[in-house]
Amino acid sequence: MAERERDIQTCCISDTSCQFGLQSVWGTGNQLFLFPGKNPLLSNERRPATGKNEQIREVQWDIDLHHPVLRKMVNDSHNIFVNLQRQATQLTGAAFHTQILNSSRHYRATQKAYLKDLDDMIGSTRDEEQRQQYMEHLKLLNISELIWSLCEILFIESPVGGLVVPKLLDWLKLHFITAGRLFDDLMKEEQPESKTTYWDTIFRLVLQGQIEKACRLLSLHSARQTDDFQTLINLLKRMPQLSNVYKGSSVAEFDMKWRHWRDECQRNYEEQKFSINPNLETVVRILCGEDAVFSEVKDCCDPWYHMLISKALYQDPTVKACDLHYYIQGCQDAYRSTTRLGELDSILLSALESDVYQVIKDSRTVFSNGWFVAHLTDLLHHCGQLDSHRLQFGSDLQREFLLLEYAGSLMSHHSLWIVGVSYLDHCAEFGRKYLELYLDHIPLDSEKKANKILKICEDRNMTEQAKSICKVMGMRCIRNKRLGAALTWFLRSKDVGFATVLAEKYLLEYSESGEFTNLDLIDYLGPSMLLSNRLTFLGKYREFHKLYSEGEYHAAGDLLLALLQARLAPKQFWITLLIDALPLLEKTELIFSSQQTRELMKCLEELTTEYKLGKKRDGLGFTEARKDQLDVLKLALSRNLPKAILQEGTVNLL
Amino acid sequence: MFVTKQIESEHKDLIHDVSFDFYGKRMASCSSDQSVKVWDLGEDGEWKCTATWKTHSGSVFRVTWAHPEFGQVLATCSFDRQAAVWEESFGDVGREGVKSNWIKKSILVDSRTAVTDVKFAPKHLGLQLAICCSDGMVRIYECPDVMNISQWSLQHDIQTKFKCSCLSWNSSRMHPPMIAVGSDDNNPSGGGKCQVFEYNDSTRKWTKVETIVAVTDPVHDVAFAPNLGRSYHLLAIASKELKIISLTPLGRDSVIGNQSVVSRFEMKQVASFTDHESPVWRVSWNVTGTVLSSSGDDGCVRLWKANYLGRWKGISILKGDASQTRQDRNFSANPSQNPAGAVSQQSNEELVRMNIKRNSGWPSFNTKKDQGKTYY
Repeated sequence: MAERERDIQTCCISDTSCQFGLQSVWGTGNQLFLFPGKNPLLSNERRPATGKNEQIREVQWDIDLHHPVLRKMVNDSHNIFVNLQRQATQLTGAAFHTQILNSSRHYRATQKAYLKDLDDMIGSTRDEEQRQQYMEHLKLLNISELIWSLCEILFIESPVGGLVVPKLLDWLKLHFITAGRLFDDLMKEEQPESKTTYWDTIFRLVLQGQIEKACRLLSLHSARQTDDFQTLINLLKRMPQLSNVYKGSSVAEFDMKWRHWRDECQRNYEEQKFSINPNLETVVRILCGEDAVFSEVKDCCDPWYHMLISKALYQDPTVKACDLHYYIQGCQDAYRSTTRLGELDSILLSALESDVYQVIKDSRTVFSNGWFVAHLTDLLHHCGQLDSHRLQFGSDLQREFLLLEYAGSLMSHHSLWIVGVSYLDHCAEFGRKYLELYLDHIPLDSEKKANKILKICEDRNMTEQAKSICKVMGMRCIRNKRLGAALTWFLRSKDVGFATVLAEKYLLEYSESGEFTNLDLIDYLGPSMLLSNRLTFLGKYREFHKLYSEGEYHAAGDLLLALLQARLAPKQFWITLLIDALPLLEKTELIFSSQQTRELMKCLEELTTEYKLGKKRDGLGFTEARKDQLDVLKLALSRNLPKAILQEGTVNLL
Repeated sequence: MFVTKQIESEHKDLIHDVSFDFYGKRMASCSSDQSVKVWDLGEDGEWKCTATWKTHSGSVFRVTWAHPEFGQVLATCSFDRQAAVWEESFGDVGREGVKSNWIKKSILVDSRTAVTDVKFAPKHLGLQLAICCSDGMVRIYECPDVMNISQWSLQHDIQTKFKCSCLSWNSSRMHPPMIAVGSDDNNPSGGGKCQVFEYNDSTRKWTKVETIVAVTDPVHDVAFAPNLGRSYHLLAIASKELKIISLTPLGRDSVIGNQSVVSRFEMKQVASFTDHESPVWRVSWNVTGTVLSSSGDDGCVRLWKANYLGRWKGISILKGDASQTRQDRNFSANPSQNPAGAVSQQSNEELVRMNIKRNSGWPSFNTKKDQGKTYY
């Protein structure tokens, strides 16, 4: 069969500036920015300014999923989807098949629920445009439900013994409600036969296999006691019911009964028992499955797929799903003159021809949001319908392709993205890569959202993405001068570089103001302090301050020296450290031992030498105030040394 | 199913570039009127201009955003031989209504001719910037301290030996840094108009690894597709026709004897489309690199997508039309009137019909002559 290709969608942008050409740049999701213009280099040629204000156009498409009404359907179907994927790993065989069927019905139920919501909205909206839009949605949704239920019967349900007609009759009853409605109306009438719709309704009922209702209507006719009416009602009542096949009787048994019954109809018809009443004759001709009669009553079984099922019912009730296509041509021919085949027809046609791939392909073009195809394909994949059609490429690839497409349309939405993540998780081949890319592009509007995305990254071990998110958030905090929050972000992603930068910022702040901000954070750094040397120093230095203020002078002194000796402290900070030693030296109690004092002196010497060298090189040096402080320090150290030696000597002597 | 929204740019001359920030919440535009504008998407879904400044002393050709990891940073390049780096001022968050303030952090003045393109490197390479000039130089700058983005140092000079018009970074993490450069030189005998350069870690130099000889017509734009863990790189080239080239790395640099193997890629032309029937100006990939948009002199924007077999096909066309009346304009500007499904099909047909006349005239349409008409 020739491939039916999708027409290229066209959209018109009207702008007088477009004569200069049109340029486009992608946004996120299905969003393009258009602006009139040419290749920039053309402006090298001196060209007078246009002098008019240029316009930029934002073009978006396939965003109907973003409509708030659809959110419920998106969420509900997501639950069904996830549930099914879980079952797929646990169940096999018949149990799993039941589950698939259940899922399919659930999907249809969400569509129905959405239909109802839409219907309510159409009723309540006053905006004519809005209503028009809803009506369109409604129409599309009805079509999708129709196709889905047919696919469910043909591809998923596969009834006992391959009998499809009973299911198809149910499908007719559900989707072609005119017969039922007319019947209800007529039942309220005193004299239904006087209505013009009387016979039409009977034909419709018979064509849909609703025999019982047809009989009831016939028995309301004033001439019901006549022979011909009685014969027909009798025949109708004795029509073998296909549903009995499910109740134990075999197909062969049914077939035999059916033949007997039809022979009887045929005989009665040939004996001209109904020749007085042409309508009764039409009914019996339908029962006989006569080919010509279906064209005569074609208005009662419009469109072609209705006729197809009616024909199948009376001509070959035990037809198998795969043989249905033999009837297609004839039925379509009957309607060819009046209606053109549309997209819906071609999808149903493909379904009846068991061409799953064509169904998917065509549905993709009709339903612009990927919801329908993604979920249907997933179902078909699980019940193995796609495997039997395996071509040179993996069938799983197509399922994944469509799921990725659907997830992609969710990812650009400000809240549905989280649903999209879950779909991507179920795409084995490319899901992760897509997710990484999409997560990078989700706007981090708030800390809450950032945390949510971080959690997703951490669950999936996406360290690169997590790091990037923390970096973005941290940078934003720095920008807003919230150093504490920034540090938290960098600690979270274990970002050494930025943690160092921030620790330096803190120290700078301290050496400028003499005070620490975000004390609580620095106090409780814990093991995360080890992330960077600078951060360790910051934490330890703060510990020194704490010890000092708590009066633990010995411990404070030891720590201070350790910081200097381990060279954790940056050189430019040594001076601050050394000056911090000053109050300890001036305590009456001895804090630093002679050994420690010598170490301190060594550090001081090293620092001043370096500064002297630096002064020669860069002309930099200590300020006068600093020099004074250092002189005081020198004095204190040299006073402390003999004190320490003395005390140590005494202790040793003792 | 298209919904369009108009944004009055208030640029007084042709817009040369529009660029999105990483999240699609901010946009920057630049124009021949020598100004740059920054737009923010408000809560109401409307774009608002939050900053506008006149800067270069010539047409501003391109504007581009750095990754938000580096803060809010923009780069522009201009006909005036300069490229500039901008940062939104600290402490003043660009909230709605508040005009934000962009400060010029650095001017890159090494070029002797017009700077035709500027692009930030992918974020895993740090804060790097590549510019290309019409004298054939490509320059790579780096800002070593991301806390102080006023310090940029020139890292590399690459001589391409052709008049550069555009460049693109390959964003793949799995591959050494890579740049594609295109040339809009009109001389067809000049050989391939697109070159690919790669950074070699051991020599610390950028070296030419490929010249795409299949493209001899002027190249107006190049774009690497975001790499989704594919084993090959996809490069879109806007030239006389639209081309998509795949580059499959054939392993690392190998030296056989004394001869180092130059070509290390298997190049394949994945697709070539002449649908524009005129020069293609622009190519742009979506976030995942699955859909490509191209725009050409025919006033059309076309969208291309690969199916699951990797075959590229046109999926949509957006047509620019200058001939419509104001009433029609209102129609397309109003999203709610563009309903879904069948009806929009109908209205599309209508629009297409209106286009036929104009469309058929395009191939012989003399742009310069007609532009002249509107000016004088």
